[in-house]
Amino acid sequence: MNNTIKYLLITIIAGVSLYNAIYFKKLDEVKKEASNTTFNAKNYANQFFKNDVESFKAINASDFLNHINADAQAYAENNGHKLGISSDYNFIVEGNAIVLEIEEEYIVVELESDQQRLKIATDFIFGNAIREGARRANIGDYQNTMDFNNISVELNNIVREQILPPFLQEVKVSDRIYFKGAAKVNTKRHTNENMKVIPMLLKINN
Amino acid sequence: MLQSYYTDGLKVLLSFFLFIAICSCSNTNGSENKRIAVVISTLNNPWFVVLGESAAERAQELGYETTIFDSQNNTSKEAEHFENLIAAGYSAVLFNPTDSEGSVSNVKRAKAAGVPVFCMDREVNSLDAATSQIISDSFSGCVALGEYFVRQLNKKGKYVELLGLVGDNNTWNRSKGFHSVVDHFPDLKMVAQQSADFDRSKAMEVLESVMQSHPDIDAVFCGNDAMAMGAYQALVAAGKTENVMVFGFDGADDVMNAISNKKIKATVMQSPKHMAKVAAELADLYIKGKRDFIPKTPIAVEVVTQENIHDFVAYGQDN
Repeated sequence: MNNTIKYLLITIIAGVSLYNAIYFKKLDEVKKEASNTTFNAKNYANQFFKNDVESFKAINASDFLNHINADAQAYAENNGHKLGISSDYNFIVEGNAIVLEIEEEYIVVELESDQQRLKIATDFIFGNAIREGARRANIGDYQNTMDFNNISVELNNIVREQILPPFLQEVKVSDRIYFKGAAKVNTKRHTNENMKVIPMLLKINN
Repeated sequence: MLQSYYTDGLKVLLSFFLFIAICSCSNTNGSENKRIAVVISTLNNPWFVVLGESAAERAQELGYETTIFDSQNNTSKEAEHFENLIAAGYSAVLFNPTDSEGSVSNVKRAKAAGVPVFCMDREVNSLDAATSQIISDSFSGCVALGEYFVRQLNKKGKYVELLGLVGDNNTWNRSKGFHSVVDHFPDLKMVAQQSADFDRSKAMEVLESVMQSHPDIDAVFCGNDAMAMGAYQALVAAGKTENVMVFGFDGADDVMNAISNKKIKATVMQSPKHMAKVAAELADLYIKGKRDFIPKTPIAVEVVTQENIHDFVAYGQDN
């Protein structure tokens, strides 16, 4: 009788302590749960280009160049956006322009409003100009800074893979275009010569 | 006579208590007798020595006593330092973590004990543990370095990558920044990617070993300057300094000299002096009552090349 109670108690204790200690789940489900909690920079970038780029308020490119050439520091502090402690300020600019030259890494355009010249990058699409110019993300919201960095990688990938190829297939010297894109200005070492706009939107208006 | 004696005694006693009260009030909000701990991942690397000494120096200028602790790249050692500094009643910690994940518990322990922690250079993977994190924008620095690398190699060639400590986020931020550029050029082939733990001697050994199987490399990208110097030594020993370009990251004294002397191609300047100064000043603000801090503040870095070396000084400016 005593032994029966003893074995019953042992079985109950073992059952309670081992309950749910081992269980099986499908690997697909585990992976799906993990990906749901992981930040997806690609989706984030796709949503930005799909929903926000067209309507994003940009600075007129002629006004931008005039202000930057007059007093880059003061204009950048009031109208640009920088990441942390930096002299690199970022802006979103737009304009209508005529294509003057098509080079290996950029095209040179002349703004219709005042004939100032500007380079639009067509290669070496790197950096944070779009993310910072558009003020899309705050580094303090990301536990791992690499998630934050991946936003720029994915934004640039979209420009490289989706925005530029159809444009470059068609564009010719003398074409009239509309552009919207991100420009980075280093207030310590700014020259118009080394500034290029990373395009977010390109339309040929002929 | 006796009454006068008691009255005088009472006056002296009251004056004494008043003096003590004034002293204790002034200590409550000021920095007198307060101590700040500076915990550094390793003092076996000159860059981190400058980081630690600059942090201590700025804290002393602000009126604090300081002690520098060397974690020797060991999270257990780091944990011991945190236990000791919490028990010793330090007012704040200026912290250069050994491991972005492994160091989180140390920071949390300090926070639980009411000791604010300000990370310098390296981050911890937690948004609510450290009071603020002052970090280099390593990713952007290596994007810019990657562009320079691609142009120097004319978009083609074979290269080796030497990684830093695999547990440090900076290792991967730098590597991923570099690859986010270089991987878009298919004629640039990475023949080996190995960790040398940010260590000069290990970098030399690793590159010597890699060159046994890949004697025809064109470049070495190193995650810090100590490894760049180690890689350069390996190339000297192999008689290949003319054929192989070396790229580093930090802006350390020996690499800046090597760039001036056309031995190393480029580095990325991240100023330990600037980061240390910002961290010490934030800690001072905390001790004086400020509580709302930005969780992460990246500090911009710049590519230093043989063409623009004259614009920079080793370890950068402090502002």
